[in-house]
Amino acid sequence: MSIGGSDLDKAIQQLRSCRPIPENQVRELCYKARELLIEEGNVVGVDAPVTICGDIHGQFHDLMELFRVGGDVPDTNYLFMGDFVDRGFYSLESFLLLLCLKVRYPDRITLIRGNHESRQITTVYGFYDECLRKYGSANVWRYCCEVFDYLALGALVTGAATSLSPTDGPLAENTNLDALPSQDEEIEIETLNAAGEIMYRYARNSDSQSSNTSQPNSNPASSSPVQTPSRVGAAGTGATSSANGSSRNDTGAVLCVHGGLSPLIDTIDKIRLLDRKQEVPHEGAMCDLLWSDPDEIDGWGLSPRGAGFLFGADIVKCFNHKNDLSLIARAHQLVMEGFKEMFESTIVTVWSAPNYCYRCGNVAAILELGEDGSNAGYVRRSNGDQGGGGGGWVLGSNVGPNGQATNSNRRLSSVLGESLQQRSRDGPGRRYRVFEAAPQDSRGMPAKKPVADYFL
Amino acid sequence: MSSLNGAPLDTHAPGHDADNSVTRDGFRITTRKLPILKAGPIEEMNQKLGIAPPEMIFGDNLARIEHTSSGWSISFTALDALDRVDKTGDSMLKVSYSKEWQQNRQKQFEDIKEVVKPFDWSYSTDFKGTTAGTPDFQPTETPIPLALLKRPDPILFFDDVMLYEDELADNGIAMLSCKIRVMPARLLLLSRFFMRLDDVVFRIRDTRVFVEFATGEVIREYCAREEKYEVVRKALAGTKEDVLAIMRDPNRLTDYLPVVEKSLAKVVLK
Repeated sequence: MSIGGSDLDKAIQQLRSCRPIPENQVRELCYKARELLIEEGNVVGVDAPVTICGDIHGQFHDLMELFRVGGDVPDTNYLFMGDFVDRGFYSLESFLLLLCLKVRYPDRITLIRGNHESRQITTVYGFYDECLRKYGSANVWRYCCEVFDYLALGALVTGAATSLSPTDGPLAENTNLDALPSQDEEIEIETLNAAGEIMYRYARNSDSQSSNTSQPNSNPASSSPVQTPSRVGAAGTGATSSANGSSRNDTGAVLCVHGGLSPLIDTIDKIRLLDRKQEVPHEGAMCDLLWSDPDEIDGWGLSPRGAGFLFGADIVKCFNHKNDLSLIARAHQLVMEGFKEMFESTIVTVWSAPNYCYRCGNVAAILELGEDGSNAGYVRRSNGDQGGGGGGWVLGSNVGPNGQATNSNRRLSSVLGESLQQRSRDGPGRRYRVFEAAPQDSRGMPAKKPVADYFL
Repeated sequence: MSSLNGAPLDTHAPGHDADNSVTRDGFRITTRKLPILKAGPIEEMNQKLGIAPPEMIFGDNLARIEHTSSGWSISFTALDALDRVDKTGDSMLKVSYSKEWQQNRQKQFEDIKEVVKPFDWSYSTDFKGTTAGTPDFQPTETPIPLALLKRPDPILFFDDVMLYEDELADNGIAMLSCKIRVMPARLLLLSRFFMRLDDVVFRIRDTRVFVEFATGEVIREYCAREEKYEVVRKALAGTKEDVLAIMRDPNRLTDYLPVVEKSLAKVVLK
């Protein structure tokens, strides 16, 4: 039987109600998905507008909540940054639904690979067991793993607007009206709750970065969820060099990847050259992209676990500059608030599994990037071409592009100079929608109350 | 530290409305269960401890037994337990594929040598609870009376409190939790640290606190078990059991892990 057209719609309907589809349909679906994914590059080009999502981890009912909050496919374009499976109870339904949507609306939804989309990890963390339990054999798990090998490693979002068109949603309770930027200011960040109410909003030149970092901790008196930083001086005199003009189209692209950067990868083109159609290896560039984490360090560091890299702000800023990026969006790490911007908003972690593992009590977030309306005839830049032409030097080697040996940790900033930070591109306007776990009664979840037992 | 987060950072979780408590014969038992900490409190804890807290840190959670008349108490919190984790990196474990990974990367990036903030990232703790008031625990030979605890006495109060959990970057699991059951005449608390580092090692470290209400006798037993992963895997391979399921379940693993440390202490409260 084939899974085209109306069959596909039926499968989507069935999966939306959290019921698995028959094994032969899974096989057909996975085959179709592979045909589609094989045509995608390692780095998929995506046009704004798009909604970027982090880890899902088989929390099917929360994925439904995500679609409720963010809009349904195909009305909203989605980009999922991997970790669809494991941990939660409904990895199968979650992944198959996303895959069905991908096959049904290939241009509306982008799926990239997370470190859990791997044979080895899924045997340990739940997806394998779940397939076995729901189908009585490992066939479905095997079909899915074959699809995993074809998932792209990253995505490049272009054409995102620098400022948000203001939502005229109502203010959330507790939101301080006076603290919101005035109407004529350019909005860089806006956070909405699941009801679409504005929780807070930052203007572009409001120095949100620096003051916002320290303020919440140093100012415990303020219990309001609105933390609007004070402006430093007049518009245009702040940290950014750009004028406070209306529509600009100088926002760089946004690279989306599950984990982070790799010392083997200094340009996006290097990601494009990898051979991705394999199990996630234990080392090398592909492994790093899916596993590494940003950290408050200088340069590159080794994880104390004995495998894996950590990278600091200088690495991110350099990479973004060299590749004409304004932002890296990644997932991979649980954050209580659903998202976390680091390194002066050059990288953001997006986490989309609320109440992770059904017990963490965290909220989830999705990141909406708007379309740059002023940019109708915009031709997509070929990112990665810039700056990479010369020596093809490897980040992390001791030799810079000019052949000069440079100092280990600081090498990148010293090679490229401090000025690059001034010239770095403005980030896109970012609208975060924050949401909580789906209500308990919408799922067949075990009761929250622990069952008394005669443990010894 | 610069976690620029557009998100609002609450400094503390809301009040004590999550407290559960029961008083029995002069002993007051309290548990508190709240969500994992937000960015602000995590940063505070990071400063206090000098190490990065586990990924899932239930820093507001609590299990406590108080003797109301003497003011003596024993409590279990994530902060105190994590303070017992090695912060130097001397007892640092390595993930199973570390050697392979190191060898492969060394050719290319010999200059990336610095291990970022080394510490025992398996969060192994020998935490036995934090006591307050007098008298202190003294070593004893008196074991916890298991026979009394095996009786199906009614359970008046039960709770299971998670203190922390970390997925060891998908290399296994480390978790510390506290279970407590209160029966009409006595109670048992079990604080269990369970750690599986895939293809490397298993650890179970149990602290049990037993209270006999009528006599005011409190017995604390600490028992640490440990075995290499490969040894356990081989032992389980001979059974017809679901090996992976057992490896996730400390209750079923105890038989496969030999005791490496044990101690007994007692205090009588008047």
